[in-house]
Formats: sequence, C-alpha cells, structure tokens
Amino acid sequence: MSPLDQTARRDGGRIVAALAAAFRDLDLAEEAYAEACARAAAVWPAAPPLDPAAWLYATARRCALDMIRRRNIRRANAVEPPAPPPTAEDILTADDRLIPDERLRLIFVCCHPAVAPESRAALTLRLVCGLSVAEIARAFLVAEPAMFQRLTRAKKKIAQAGVSFEVPSPEAWPDRMAAVLSTLEVAYARAHEDAAGSGPHAGYAREMLDLTAVLTDLAPGDPEALAFAALVRFAEARRPARLDAGGAMVPLAEQDPKRWNRALIAEGDALLRRAARLNHPGPRQLRAALHAAWALRRSLAEPPPWATLLALYDLLLQEGDDPFVRLNRAVALAEVAGPEAALAEVEALDAERLDAFQPYHAVRADLLARLGRSGEALQAYDRAIEMAPGEAERLWLIRKRMMSP
Amino acid sequence: MVARQWEKTMQYALLLYENEAVYAEDGATSLEAIIAAHGALAAELAEQGVLRGGQGLKSSDTATTLRKARGVDTLHDGPYAEAREQLGGFYVIEVPDLDAALAIARRIPFAGDGAVEVRPIIDED
Repeated sequence: MSPLDQTARRDGGRIVAALAAAFRDLDLAEEAYAEACARAAAVWPAAPPLDPAAWLYATARRCALDMIRRRNIRRANAVEPPAPPPTAEDILTADDRLIPDERLRLIFVCCHPAVAPESRAALTLRLVCGLSVAEIARAFLVAEPAMFQRLTRAKKKIAQAGVSFEVPSPEAWPDRMAAVLSTLEVAYARAHEDAAGSGPHAGYAREMLDLTAVLTDLAPGDPEALAFAALVRFAEARRPARLDAGGAMVPLAEQDPKRWNRALIAEGDALLRRAARLNHPGPRQLRAALHAAWALRRSLAEPPPWATLLALYDLLLQEGDDPFVRLNRAVALAEVAGPEAALAEVEALDAERLDAFQPYHAVRADLLARLGRSGEALQAYDRAIEMAPGEAERLWLIRKRMMSP
Repeated sequence: MVARQWEKTMQYALLLYENEAVYAEDGATSLEAIIAAHGALAAELAEQGVLRGGQGLKSSDTATTLRKARGVDTLHDGPYAEAREQLGGFYVIEVPDLDAALAIARRIPFAGDGAVEVRPIIDED
C-alpha cells in the first residue's frame, strides 16, 4: 500500500469529517479532500511529508477555501456585492496539525431522520468511513450509478433542507440516537461483506471501535449505545480466529477461544455491565449478551453455551420477528434438541420470501446433511455457495459440501 | 468556534395537511378552538422573532384549480389533488436549521390526524 493509500485508509474519515464540520458542506468537503489526494499523489513520491495526515488536512482546507472564494466571486458577478468571504483566513490561521475529531457530528448529519433510511448507512460509509461508491454499491447489492445517485440525492437534501451540523439537543436525543445506532449496525454488517469478516474493510473495524467509543462518551446513559459498543468489541475480539490457514471461514463454535482478543472482550464485558446497570433492557443488549455468552468460552474443550444462546434468541424474538434471528435460533436448537427439531422450525419459515437470503440455504443445508438427506443437502449447499457474499464463507461451504454424506 | 461566524438562518414553509372531515364529527375539537390554538402559537413565534408569515385556508371544497396542460387551461371545481388530507394553511418561519423548524412543526395543533410538510424556501442570495 502506498503512503497515500495508507493515510487515506487510516485518516480519511477523520479528515473529511473535520472539513465537513468546519465548512458545513458535504460536497465541498469531499471535493476538497479528493483534490488534496490528487495533489498528494503528484507531490509525495518526490517529497514525502513528515506528517501525511496533517499534510492532507491542511491542503484540503486550502482547496476548500479556494473553492469558496471562487464560488463567492461567481456569485458576486451574478447578483449582490459579495458577503465577506466567510471566516476564510481565520481557518487558515488555526492549527493545521490538529485534526479535530468531528466524525460523530458527521454521523448525526448522515443519520438525520430527514435523510431516507436506505441512504443513511450508505452516506455514513462514504463520508465517515471513506468507502468508495463502488464498494458501497457492492455491499448494498445495487448498481454503482444507482448508488451514486442515492448518495448525491441525500447530500443535496442535507444541504438544501438545512440539516444542522450540530450534535442534537437532549430532547431530540432518543430519536436521533436510535437512527444513528441502526445505521451503524447496518454499516458494520455491510462493511464486513461476509460472515467471516474478511472483506477488504477489516481496517474499517478500527474506525467502528473508535466511533462507538466516542458515542458512549457522549451518551453514557444510553444503554443501547453502550450495548452496541460492547457488541462491536466482542465481534472484533474474534477477528484473529475467524479465518483458517487456507483462508476459509471458521464458524463461531469451531473458533479457538484462545485466539480471541481478551482485552477487547474485557472492554465489551465492562460496557455491557454498564448498560445492564441502567436497568433498561433492549434488543441491542440481548444481541450483545449473545456475544458475551460466547466470550465466556475459554477453550475448545469447553462446550459452547447453546442452551443460554437458545434462551437469548427466544427473548430476542419477543422484541420482533426476524428471519435472521430465527435461523440463528435454529442453529442453537439443533445442538440442544437435535437437527430434526431445528429443521422443522426452518421448514416452517416462509421459503419463498427467504429464497433470496443466503443464510437460509446455508443453515438448511447443514441440517439436511446432518439428517442424512444428502440429495436435498447438496442442492441447498449449491444455492448457499452460489450466493455466498465472500470468498472465506464460500470456501467453508464448499468444504462442508464435500464432507456432507 | 470559527465556523459560527457564517452561521445563517433559513426560511421554511410549514404546509399543514389535515382531514377536514374531523371537524364535522361529534365531539371533535371545533374549528374555532383550533384556530385559537394557531393564534396562540403564532403569537408566541412572533414574539420569538421567528414568524415571517402564514395563513389559514378555507376548506378545500371552496377551491378552484386552474390546470395548464399542453398550452390549454382548464378549470376544475375543487382542490389540486383529491386526497383524504388537504392543505389547510401554512406558516413561514425563519430559524437556524431543519431541527428548529421540525421542533416548531411538532407543536402545530391539529383536531385529528394531520401532516406538516417542511419545505425550505429558496434563498434570495
């Protein structure tokens, strides 16, 4: 990876967020950042900067100020005398080396309820996490031009409708926080692209740990925010154990707990306990509790906590019916009550609706194979493999298919 | 913070849609009571210096719609769209941002169900 790629991956989100917050203009922030990257590509090979992130930020700010100046001149020619170029010089005199962390503010902008729900996660991934339009389009299974249009429309809405760049006031907090959390959940899930978390955005996980930490600092009394922060830590703790030497996915029950990151698990536990102390249960606390139950396992010799998981899935279903929860519940049920009972539950689901849902075929294939119904199992494996969202999961399914009776 | 220096206000139209039939129902809030509630809200907004205008409209069965299509004008007795909820009035306010506009929209009185469309007004500059 070139120094520019590295800096962009590591600091791009922070830089764009700081620009957007300072200038209150998403397009300007993106354009100025792109321009700074283009200049870096031309200049850095001959003269590498001491502090690449600070270089990008300072250059992008200068680009943004130039753009504002050009805009004001155009406007001045068209109508009234120019408004004094807003704050331009002041900003330059500020310390360019410090990039303020404005990502949270930008998240609240991207997740404003005035932005269509299907655009919020995409916009957050684009602006806060720096994914390309092509990557986001792939993650959401839409064509790139359509995604480009969706993002453009959302940015236009934010600019034209006067969406505030302030962190919302306390009375607006519950609504806004719910929107932020569900957006981050979608973004976190999508950015992984596959159950193994081996997609090209493993680096993006770092960002998610930071963002949720900022979120819990800001809302120490919001149990669902604490629970989501805990969940991200539990999930990230398992990253080192998610792939085997051959690059195939290792399912949770087969991961060696010794390879899990115990420091992250401890952080997750502490956050979840803080959430529990607030005595206000919710679905995200249940989800985090599922991960916490797994994290209790210390070695492969200890049995997985299937009965606890099953009970938690039952509670989660009371929060709202969700085919993904039902499928996960079936996996636990197979271990507690046997594959026959689990398959009966899976077959009771709406097959037509779930046909386009890859985990449905993967879970079904496994249950059918365990019951010795090999013909049907192979068919289900073929569907699951064909639809596998990532290479690691595909490899794992191919191996399972080969081993099925 | 530096950025605050060019913080500006925006004007919004709050377009009020409601089901007019509710006023005919037994035991419903009377139109007079709703008009009085609007008056109180408008007075408060005026005092805060955010009210820029607004009017209540007579019921949609008093509307006449002029439609222009392919150069031909036709008149129609009734509102632009035959919907369950009809435009019943509007406010024009000037506030810092959408959140402030939505906070005011939430306070608008309705006798029954209703909707408030919050539309930014085109800047003059």
